[in-house]
Amino acid sequence: MTSIDVQDLTKEYGTTRAVDRLTFSVGPGRVTGFLGPNGAGKSTTMRLALGLDRPTSGTALIGGRPYATYGEPLRVVGALLDPQAAHGARTAHAHLAALAAGNRIPRRRVDEVLEQTGIAAVARRRVKTFSLGMRQRLGIAAALLGDPEVVMLDEPSNGLDPEGIIWIRELMRDLARAGRTVLVSSHLMNETATFADHLVVLGRGRLLADTPMPDFIAAHTARRAHVRTTDPGRLRAALTRAGHQVAVADDGRCTVDGATAAEVGALAAADGIPVLELADEQASLEQAYLALTANEAEFAATPLQEARP
Amino acid sequence: MSTTAVLHSEWIKIRSLRGSFGSLLAVFAATLAVTVLAFATIGQAEAEDSEDLLLGAFYALNFGQIAALAFGATAVSCEFLNGALRVSLSAVPRRGLFYAAKIAVVGGCAFVVGTLTTFAAFLAGQAFMGSYALGLGDPGAVRACFGGGVYLALMALFAAGLTAVLRSAVAVLSILVPFLLIVSFVIGDVAGSAADFLPDRAGQQVLRQHAVGSLGPWAGLAVTALWTAAAVLAGWWAVRRRDA
Repeated sequence: MTSIDVQDLTKEYGTTRAVDRLTFSVGPGRVTGFLGPNGAGKSTTMRLALGLDRPTSGTALIGGRPYATYGEPLRVVGALLDPQAAHGARTAHAHLAALAAGNRIPRRRVDEVLEQTGIAAVARRRVKTFSLGMRQRLGIAAALLGDPEVVMLDEPSNGLDPEGIIWIRELMRDLARAGRTVLVSSHLMNETATFADHLVVLGRGRLLADTPMPDFIAAHTARRAHVRTTDPGRLRAALTRAGHQVAVADDGRCTVDGATAAEVGALAAADGIPVLELADEQASLEQAYLALTANEAEFAATPLQEARP
Repeated sequence: MSTTAVLHSEWIKIRSLRGSFGSLLAVFAATLAVTVLAFATIGQAEAEDSEDLLLGAFYALNFGQIAALAFGATAVSCEFLNGALRVSLSAVPRRGLFYAAKIAVVGGCAFVVGTLTTFAAFLAGQAFMGSYALGLGDPGAVRACFGGGVYLALMALFAAGLTAVLRSAVAVLSILVPFLLIVSFVIGDVAGSAADFLPDRAGQQVLRQHAVGSLGPWAGLAVTALWTAAAVLAGWWAVRRRDA
């Protein structure tokens, strides 16, 4: 099994510290979402893991070895960093054929990944005629070329249409189910929530979280339950006695902060209060993420200074 | 990591890029076209007061070498567009192997096409020369044809190395082309000076029947080879050191 192990990794560009003493591992068999605001160091970390940039200190190993020590690395790691990387004057087929040749990947794999990513029909067209979505698919085709154990994708759904986004989500989940290590960076929370099992969250180059996604959401959002009853007054009294904050809307719907549906249901049953609807609030990854990174966003808008007369 | 596999990969990259492959073919096409045009029209008239008939036979190489520079520059510059180098280096992370394979393929292609070009241009041009015609049996002719192929390969590699340093074909060509067209013509006539050691002047000694100035034919080509080696090594240093 092949994992990505980042140990005490630091990268400085001049005086800017893009990655700051980062330590985490990405394990096989699950999709790991790599989150953080723009400039948090996600792409830099991926480049360091691929041996493209030199770390200032620390290591990033793949399967226990530096990437550059693999003889035919595309057979171990597939990466999509930049959909614009394929030369516009080449055909999609030639771009992949050159990559395959250098790693002694059989030529039939080129046709297979073109088919798999849905761009076989345009394989002989030059890349400059491609839309961003098609380039993104070509970049993913290049990542899959060597049938690698580890797949690293930087913002893979950029430019994809809704159908493409569903396709890439299913692809990532399939790869993980097949036991591969999948690391996917994104700054789109709602989308990441649809495919990630585990999260690694960065802010200003530092590790903010490295947890399973449900735990992350639970840890960074307040619990809250919604309940509708025929007798809001009695329910409110019962909940207040139990120490919960209750807000009652005009239509009799109550919002209970700091309580789960199970607790509210038990209290209502004990007092014999009829309940019509009862549910936990579904906290989103976005809420959890924003709560965590509120202080970390490098480019957070700052209030304008008042103009002096 | 297999060297032949990486060479194969670099060959696919050159073959599949119209700009590079076109420039490579243009080395042959431009040289031969200019040779036929010039020799069919003014060849014999020029020959009367030619200082070196053998050098004259390779007049069109002045155009062919521009194509060779363009070939070397575009074959390398395609790696510096957007994130192309990252894709290439993630496929071949040993940078020395990657760079050496690219230089070998660029040099090899330029040498094969260059040698075909010099022999073809020599034979085609001399067919129009009547009583002034030289043959491959004349002294220095085979040496000049073969050396001319080497010279074209060295010019392509000179541009390739500089492109790896400057990361732009446009920058390299806008330095080298005016340099060859203007500077070398202007100060080049002062033979026996430092101008003899300019990369193009030195290398073109191999095209002469009788060497002029301080360098012989092979010594001149060796001076060009040193310029090329310096550019290629500078490119290697840049590729090895920099973040991709």
